[in-house]
Amino acid sequence: MDGIYLLQLLLNGLVIGVIYALIAMGLSLIFGLLGIVNFAHGEFYMLGAMLSFFAVTDLHFSYWTTILSVTLVASAAGLLFYHLFLSSLRQGDFERSILLTLGISMVLQNGGIFLWTVTPRIVPTPYSYAAVTFGELQIPVLRLFTLCIATAAFLALYVLLNRTLIGKAMRGLSHSRHAAAMVGIDHRRVARLAVMIGIALSGLAGATLAPVYSVQPTMGSAFVFKAFAIVIIGGLGNILGAALAAILLGIVESLIGGFLPLTLADAAGFVGMILVLLFKPEGLFGRGVRV
Amino acid sequence: MTAFRAPALGILAWLALLGVPLLTGSEYLLDTGIAIATFAVLSTGLNLIYGYTGLLSFAQVAFFGLGGYCAALLVTRLDFSFWLALPAGAVVATLAGLLIGYSSLRLSRHAFAIVSLSFALLCGIVSRDWVSLTRGSMGIPGLSLPGFDDPAQMYRLMVTAAAILLAAFYVLLSSRLGRALRAIKLNEPLAQSQGIDPLRYKLLAIGVSAAASGVMGALFVFHLSIVDPSVFDFYYTETMLIMVILGGAGSFWGVIGASVVFSIVPDLLRFSSDLRLMLYGVVLVAAMLLFPAGFGGLLQQRRLARWSTQR
Repeated sequence: MDGIYLLQLLLNGLVIGVIYALIAMGLSLIFGLLGIVNFAHGEFYMLGAMLSFFAVTDLHFSYWTTILSVTLVASAAGLLFYHLFLSSLRQGDFERSILLTLGISMVLQNGGIFLWTVTPRIVPTPYSYAAVTFGELQIPVLRLFTLCIATAAFLALYVLLNRTLIGKAMRGLSHSRHAAAMVGIDHRRVARLAVMIGIALSGLAGATLAPVYSVQPTMGSAFVFKAFAIVIIGGLGNILGAALAAILLGIVESLIGGFLPLTLADAAGFVGMILVLLFKPEGLFGRGVRV
Repeated sequence: MTAFRAPALGILAWLALLGVPLLTGSEYLLDTGIAIATFAVLSTGLNLIYGYTGLLSFAQVAFFGLGGYCAALLVTRLDFSFWLALPAGAVVATLAGLLIGYSSLRLSRHAFAIVSLSFALLCGIVSRDWVSLTRGSMGIPGLSLPGFDDPAQMYRLMVTAAAILLAAFYVLLSSRLGRALRAIKLNEPLAQSQGIDPLRYKLLAIGVSAAASGVMGALFVFHLSIVDPSVFDFYYTETMLIMVILGGAGSFWGVIGASVVFSIVPDLLRFSSDLRLMLYGVVLVAAMLLFPAGFGGLLQQRRLARWSTQR
């Protein structure tokens, strides 16, 4: 067994896993605090990627400016998303929330196809073909950046949730909306912030990954079902669990894809989800909310 | 007398539909009729699971495609007769439905919604990538039904199948079973206290719905004479959802009416399929924000208002 090959697979898996984690954490955050499964989540990832494409090719932003600006635009989009659509949903409106966000996803995805066609686009950056070498290991610079950015975002979210007052409010709200209201937490403000963060993470993932793969309006839907599987494996409502499950899935997919036909790698997430549901329904890492 | 009204109307409608090929030879019209028949059954199946039992499910299209692929494989690879492959496809679809239902319903209906979506997406992926079994994107062509090569005959077959399945749905929903399902949707703990086992009834609803979808799936792919991964397209799910929601979740005739309307609409709005899907999305969003109970719900409100003023 080639050790270098294995290490390369692990590294690739880590990179993709960290991106999965960004998307899954946002989804888990929104579910934990609002009880909403956001079907449009993949579309915000796609919009982040498309936006970064236009920022680089039409506005000539640099790599880092693009990532920063797209994240800011995404958080603004999250604010709009919350106020226009999500704020009208009540606690038990599960099916309605799914169909509402599904409708939004349909509008965004098909609108994107109509406006931009399904032609894949490549986002050019000065780092696109550069690679860093550690002995026999070759890491493309872009993937290294992806890893660093995603890890930074993950750490920032962790600090926010566990070391700040508003983070404490978020954790409290995800446990019980009534109890949180009793201690004076305004659930609307906290939920709004959660949605902004969740969508911003999704947009950030899109902007970061845009130069690595090609960009086209249907790219969001491929991630959505994996993100759902990850959230279930990690435990519905357990944000950290979702991140860990995401990284795990990324590595497992990469390992499977390296030795077996690629199609089995795609199925790994779904199979994992079914196994977790059958044997450990509260999620691999427990502490998941049994809804 | 009123007990016979619905079945009588149904039989009349079925006979009338059978006569359509005598009036027109247009294959286009017959294709539309087949689309209506197919969607009516699929949407009513979804209505059974979502409208009556309250379980949001995205797996209908998976059962549809599974029935189609199963029948196609049995006929082309194992030389089965279509009339044996058809029930076999339905059985496979039912088993799949029971599997995903049982594994996720023990957790919650939220999990079921997500698992049903993942299952449908997975079916699409597997049908595209497991080339040695399904020939991937090339699909399995050459599906012909001896004796039904004439489009009018195929049309009659599918309309009859749809009529039988819809009649079965109607009987089921008007019986004690339908009432139990509605009770489960309205208040599950209360239904349980009356001796209704929610899991068993939910699985029953899923199983029946899956079987019906599987049957229509097998017929549909033999009508097209080819089956390929596009049979699992999310487009079917989106259309079915529009039909159930606008027709009124839980309203039997509302959903059938919406199926007719929305099977015809795509051809009227032929400008662009992306714009049309975008429009569906807008309609879905508007419906969820403004009138979640759909057209059937509006009718129900009017009926109630009339009843309360009559006193």
